[in-house]
Amino acid sequence: MPSKPLMIGALEFPSRGDAYAFLKGILARYDVGDRVNAADSAILRDALALHPESTTKIDSGIKSFSVRTADFGTKCFWVNRVDGSTEKFALRACVYGDK
Amino acid sequence: MSIVDLQSWLVEQGIEEELDQLTRHTVRGEIGNLLPEPDTVAPRVDWQRLLLAASVLARSDTRFHQEAALRIATSAVTMSRSAAVIDAGAVLLSKLSNFRAVALAGKRALLADDLDGRLGMSLRIEAQRRQMDQAILVESSGRWLQVNDFQQRFWEKATTNGWISASAPTASGKTFLVLQWLIDQMHDGGKRVAIYLAPTRALVAEIETNLELLLGKPGAIQVSSLPLTEKYDTARAGGSPLILVFTQERLHLLANLVGDDIAIDLLIVDEAHKIGDNQRGVILQDAIERVSRANPALKLVFISPATQNPDELLADAPEGTGTSPVDSDVPTVLQNVIVAEQVPRKPKLWDLSVVKAGGKQSIGTLTLASSPTGPTKKLAFIAAAAGEQGGTLVYANRASDSEEIADLISQLIPASAAVDKELLELADLTRKGVHPQYRLAPLVERGVAFHYGNMPSLIRLEIERLFRAGKIRFLVCTSTLIEGVNLSCRTIVLRGPRKGLGNPMEPHDFWNLAGRAGRWGHEFQGNIICIDPGNSQAWPHGVPARARYPIKRESDAVIETGAGLADYLDRRVSADLSELQEADQYEQVGSYLLTTFLRLGSIAEAGLAKRHDKDLIERLDTSLAAIAAQVEISPEIANRHPGISALGLQRLLDAFRRYEGDPENLLPAPVDSEDSYDRFVTIMRRIDQNMFPAFLPEGLIPLYARIVVQWLKGFSLAMMIRRNIEYHVRNNRAYKLPTLIRQTMEYVEQIARFKAPKYFSAYMDVLHIHLRAIGRDDLVEDGLDIGTQLEFGVSSRTLLSLMELGLSRMSAVALYEKIARDDLDKDQCLAWVADRIDQFAGMDIPAIILREILERLHPDADGQTAPSDS
Repeated sequence: MPSKPLMIGALEFPSRGDAYAFLKGILARYDVGDRVNAADSAILRDALALHPESTTKIDSGIKSFSVRTADFGTKCFWVNRVDGSTEKFALRACVYGDK
Repeated sequence: MSIVDLQSWLVEQGIEEELDQLTRHTVRGEIGNLLPEPDTVAPRVDWQRLLLAASVLARSDTRFHQEAALRIATSAVTMSRSAAVIDAGAVLLSKLSNFRAVALAGKRALLADDLDGRLGMSLRIEAQRRQMDQAILVESSGRWLQVNDFQQRFWEKATTNGWISASAPTASGKTFLVLQWLIDQMHDGGKRVAIYLAPTRALVAEIETNLELLLGKPGAIQVSSLPLTEKYDTARAGGSPLILVFTQERLHLLANLVGDDIAIDLLIVDEAHKIGDNQRGVILQDAIERVSRANPALKLVFISPATQNPDELLADAPEGTGTSPVDSDVPTVLQNVIVAEQVPRKPKLWDLSVVKAGGKQSIGTLTLASSPTGPTKKLAFIAAAAGEQGGTLVYANRASDSEEIADLISQLIPASAAVDKELLELADLTRKGVHPQYRLAPLVERGVAFHYGNMPSLIRLEIERLFRAGKIRFLVCTSTLIEGVNLSCRTIVLRGPRKGLGNPMEPHDFWNLAGRAGRWGHEFQGNIICIDPGNSQAWPHGVPARARYPIKRESDAVIETGAGLADYLDRRVSADLSELQEADQYEQVGSYLLTTFLRLGSIAEAGLAKRHDKDLIERLDTSLAAIAAQVEISPEIANRHPGISALGLQRLLDAFRRYEGDPENLLPAPVDSEDSYDRFVTIMRRIDQNMFPAFLPEGLIPLYARIVVQWLKGFSLAMMIRRNIEYHVRNNRAYKLPTLIRQTMEYVEQIARFKAPKYFSAYMDVLHIHLRAIGRDDLVEDGLDIGTQLEFGVSSRTLLSLMELGLSRMSAVALYEKIARDDLDKDQCLAWVADRIDQFAGMDIPAIILREILERLHPDADGQTAPSDS
């Protein structure tokens, strides 16, 4: 079965695998503790919108994104909300819809 | 027969047997739980003969002879019932310039008042002349101070020379006298800023407290241990003269803030033999040279315990500066080295003997309550039995051992019906300030304590105070005591002492420790009990004979390795930092030499060159030139970070230049930001990869970062321990509470307060260079630098103000929990306290913290303690 293209905002990817690799590539450019820059933040906003729990993840609204420690010594993106709270989210969930 | 021959004959033959008897008799009186024996000594002593011999021996310069004279004089005062013999003993003590022992005899009602009135005319004249000769005028107080020969020579030489180096055994009254002299110097009007350097924060706290007590309140002279510029600027501008008490690291912090033209009039370097310590010795040397370079007319005083060559420290004095060593090896109290050996097949019975020249003298058999199995129990049981009179110090090789031994001792001593109020207050402080189950609390309530370097200073100082006061009767401590805490005792008990990780203690370290037995002016003698002297595991080289420290700068010792250092420097240019072997040995001195090279263009121009082979210096110059060719970092920047290689700074700068992300991400995030912890993780990794592998092992970096953030947030130690426990529980990790408590304390001291400030300060300096170079000056902030923030564990203005007012961090944090605002300056903090002075009782603040708050922040507070006179 040919792979299905995926749109993240205005960006079109031939397959979910490509989209996931692209987003992982962005993550790889950051160290833990970094604030995500404006261009990458725009992409992450669109990616987070695809997350199956996007409403609760975004909650009071997105202020910024950071890269921080995840479980088992890995790193992941975190959404910093307008109300000062912060929560991590998985790129895999944004792309594949896994919870 | 010459007088020298006579003196030797006396101690070797003439009175040898009587001396042995006196020793046996006096030592038996010191030790508890000896099997009873009839006293056959006291009634038979021929005091007239012995006192005559002692007066001959008192004129000798040989320590051995003086010790014999001191033993006879002390025995006469303490053993005899004849007033005439006691008087004669006291006269002999004053001939030995041991006025404190005479005063002690008076205090204990052994010696009747008005000794001078009972002397014949010629003796009275002699005594009065001696008192005048052996006294110095403390101009600041207008008081005459009776001193011994060493103290008198110190006073005279220190006043007339530019650089002096004073060396004398522990308990010679060095610190007390030097502090008096320092205050006198600051009173003369010409000197504005003095620095007293001490090797550890523990000693800094002690010296600062003693200075404040000597100066009284309110002082015309300011004292501070904070590396902040405010008081320095005031003093330089003509305000109150200032005495700063610093570790070498804090001196560098202040010099970084003030600049390389820092103006210091007087520098005192205590425990100066530590210029030879691995890794920190060269930081000390660098600090001294930095101040000396900026102040050619600097007055400099080195103080060290018994050293072989105090004049070595004077070798780099500027040309034309008057220098003088002041050396002494005179005993002030009797020190009995006692060996304890188990009676064969009888583990509860131990033979005790005093070590003497060429053998030992039996003093009796010690009985223990139970059979000791293993080294820990031996130490605990023997200490509890022999040292039951109190003032007993037990040396433990590790912090964990010290807790075990103290616990065992507490089980062997009888509990008193009512626990002293001050002990209860200390127990309360440890429960609230560390953890409700911290082992110290129940021990303290029984008059037993343990003591190690990473403990919060407020608790450690209170333990020391209560030990001096006799309320804590047994104190089990680690090598903090040979790192220079002035704490003396009646009896020390040791078995196989080690220094650091497993190295047998060197003889001079052993004697520095042993020298604490016998509190001059408080006791006539001290006892050093060495257990299992024949056990080669415990004592690989036997019980050490008396020895003095050889002073050798760490830099000189490392340079003398010759090719070893040069090869390391050659490899340092290209090797991966993680593969760099022998960094522990060479990195610090290599960094020092590189900075020197950057400043002078060749180390042949430096003072150290005269102490080394010319070819070796040339060889090192070649290696350093190869490194310097790759370094754009200026000597001024390198100078600010002693112990960190300019090459490491350069590599970090290169890494910043390669960095493609937002430069803002290179900065530490504010501690209240959600990114702060992770940012520190990355910064530590960046430092490890580029500057120097300081935060190892890599897997512990997340833990280190968490400690740093909590420390900067102003968390109390108790809260940090609680969080650490929660972390272990949350992650399903097993832990042992005593270990976790000690480990948290260790991380605070070693990571948050030592490594992080050192390396983060350098990181920020290099980052600022980079940010300015790329036109991002907007990211360079001039606030409180991260090194100072970390040194004190504060990030709020209010907390810093409280510490500037003299509170320990523990007290500052406890008080800050009650203060709503985070931006109070010092006056506002004082006003906050004054407004609530009646409400403190209801605030549930531990009494010891409350006492400190009132002493420091409320001008009418009382309840101060006397300064230590050791």
